[in-house]
Amino acid sequence: MRQGDAIVVDAMTTSRQRRRRYMTWSLVLLLALTLVLPLIPYAVEYAQVNDSSLVPNPGADLWRDVRQRDNPVMGQTQVRGVDTGVLIYKSGEDWRIFRMQWLAPYGAIFMGTVLGLTILFYLVRGRVPIPGGRSGKKILRFNLNQRMVHWFTVGIFLLLALTGFILLYGRFVLIPLLGPEGFSITASACKEAHNLFGPLFLFAMLLLIITFVKDNFYERGDLSWMITGGGLLGEDTDAGRFNAAQKAWFWIATVFGLALCITGLILDFAVIGQSREIMAISHVIHGTSAVVMTGVLFGHIYWATAGMEGGMESMTTGYVDANWAEAHHNRWYEEVKNEGEIEKPSEKPGPGSASAIGVASPHPGD
Amino acid sequence: MFEILVDGILWDIALVVFFGGIAWRIVAVFRHGMPRDLAEPRGSGIGGAIMTNIRRFYPRHEIAPKIRLHVIAGYMFHVGLFILLFFAAPHVIFIEEHITGFGWTPMPYWAFVVVSQIAFAGLILLWLHRVLHPVTRLISRTDDHIASILVFVVMLTGCMALLESFTGLRVLHRFTVELLMIYFPFSALMHAIMFVPSRGFTGALFNRRGVKV
Amino acid sequence: MARMKFFCDAERCIECNGCVTACKNENDVPWGVNRRRVVTIKDGEPGERSLSVACMHCSDAPCEAVCPVDCFYTTDDGLVLHDKDICIGCGYCFYACPFGAPQFPTTNAFGSRGKMDKCTFCAGGPLEDLSAEEKTKYGSNRLAEGKLPLCAEMCATKALLAGDADVLADIYRKRVINRGASVMDWGVNYQKASLRAGRSQKGKASSNN
Repeated sequence: MRQGDAIVVDAMTTSRQRRRRYMTWSLVLLLALTLVLPLIPYAVEYAQVNDSSLVPNPGADLWRDVRQRDNPVMGQTQVRGVDTGVLIYKSGEDWRIFRMQWLAPYGAIFMGTVLGLTILFYLVRGRVPIPGGRSGKKILRFNLNQRMVHWFTVGIFLLLALTGFILLYGRFVLIPLLGPEGFSITASACKEAHNLFGPLFLFAMLLLIITFVKDNFYERGDLSWMITGGGLLGEDTDAGRFNAAQKAWFWIATVFGLALCITGLILDFAVIGQSREIMAISHVIHGTSAVVMTGVLFGHIYWATAGMEGGMESMTTGYVDANWAEAHHNRWYEEVKNEGEIEKPSEKPGPGSASAIGVASPHPGD
Repeated sequence: MFEILVDGILWDIALVVFFGGIAWRIVAVFRHGMPRDLAEPRGSGIGGAIMTNIRRFYPRHEIAPKIRLHVIAGYMFHVGLFILLFFAAPHVIFIEEHITGFGWTPMPYWAFVVVSQIAFAGLILLWLHRVLHPVTRLISRTDDHIASILVFVVMLTGCMALLESFTGLRVLHRFTVELLMIYFPFSALMHAIMFVPSRGFTGALFNRRGVKV
Repeated sequence: MARMKFFCDAERCIECNGCVTACKNENDVPWGVNRRRVVTIKDGEPGERSLSVACMHCSDAPCEAVCPVDCFYTTDDGLVLHDKDICIGCGYCFYACPFGAPQFPTTNAFGSRGKMDKCTFCAGGPLEDLSAEEKTKYGSNRLAEGKLPLCAEMCATKALLAGDADVLADIYRKRVINRGASVMDWGVNYQKASLRAGRSQKGKASSNN
């Protein structure tokens, strides 16, 4: 019994002791884990830094650089040429969007609108006659040099505009008509003619600017002319040799014409190592200027031909009727009247009048 | 079809008309003869002819300022056209293959394009002057305008064929050239040859009479 | 039909320019025309990578979109080819192309470039397959012979692959898995990557892995 009791007591003591041991160790482990666990990330980092075989993948950063939008990463290559070191050239897409989605459609809309408005204006307003009819008295408006420079520029511009717009719109308009082979021949002819005549346009533009710049500066009265719309809205049509709209046309032609020339030369002479970016920017300016200039040109042609009686002859014969001059360019008319440059109506047309024209020319060097 | 015609029979016709016509015109002019000059000559006829031929290459100083444009644009066009005709690379190859059998060094591409631009500028300016100046307009005949426009069209089709890859454009250029060759002997374009004998006649006559040319 | 693609593995390209030479030789391209080129980024710096670039035969090709004479066409294989009889040499495709693929035989004044030339995926052009004229104008037509582009076939490290896009994608996927690349951007462990082909990659290790 006693022995048995002793055994039971012993067993009880043993189990209590074991429980106590477990508890102690558990506490120790808990304490240790509490201390060690927060250290694991540091340990992992430590292990990574020291593991020489595990390198960060340079690919991710590299391709981010290559694909970046702003400035393409230049690489090295054995191929010599412009931009050959660029792997991915992003701006090409911008240029494509400009040319195909902006320039072509909006250019057509702009030029078509201007043309439509001009026709509408003609239908509403009709041809403006010379007030009081023709007097028969002639005034020299443009001397031979001025007319030659004008028509020289006109000829080259029309050739360039025609060939240029065929290259821009031919794919949409002419391929259905001529077929790809037929249009290819047309486009090639246009491209070569455009490239050859382009530099001549710079020559023409410079001649034009030199010839006409002196009468195209702002004068008093131009602003009121512009506000009244040159007599369309009010009665005031006070104007000098050129009215405000003609001056505006001169400056538009100068600015956009020179822009066309400079960008055209950059595009035409791809021999000095221009990058694609520069070529694309030049093309953007070139296309926009061409569209703007052509649109405004419709207005210029309208007033020179259909819109107004007696205007066109100033650029063909060089002479205008005195009544026309008095009505549309009164201040200039007063000037030339005071200088006595009005020519009496010639008795009979022919060689006699031709020699008289020569004498009447106020500008030497005809 | 058109290509075979232009490269074949039309080219032959153009050659015959061109050279036959020129020969006929020259023979006709020389056969016309001159009235016998019975006066004692005051100078050498041949000397006068040569001198005048040279002298007329530059304007008389009395009228030089008035015809500055004619001189400058005239030389731009004529010299330009001459260089284009004989020194453009495709022309040299054509001459070598079809006419002479030998060629010579052509100009680089950029140089002959520059020359053609100068020639174009000269031609356009001269034609504009012809149309816009009342006097030249009056004395110009249809023939003069056709000649100017034909030369312009020949040059334009030539520059349109610069890529040298489309048969159609080459044939078009050659066709306009053939038209020009057929038109040449019967028009004002004959001045390209006749300017020498014409200056010669004038110079010889004047020099015999003792007039300073 | 298969969708043909080029693929260049930047982890493998060693900038030997073998593809460039193979291309020049096979297609007899004129002097100055480089249908293919090898570009090295960060040359001589840590993280240097090389890539062989040519026409990537885009699905929505910018060159095709901007061409004023519409001389490009896409084949059933998804290759972007062009017709040199229609090309006018304007250079627009070169401005639009993201990869600088269009090449021109000359660069002369007055916009004289000659007809555009670019990688054809060794598939010739619109002319009759394997004709002499096609060979002169567009180079060789290996696809018609049942072969793949020579640049890829010649690649010593099999960095440059050419062929059906699905097959190429499979190959590349296996390569990536094999390299032990981590999605957590911890990098590639080359030491631990198994260099032997997996069980699914039976056959020539060199052509698959």
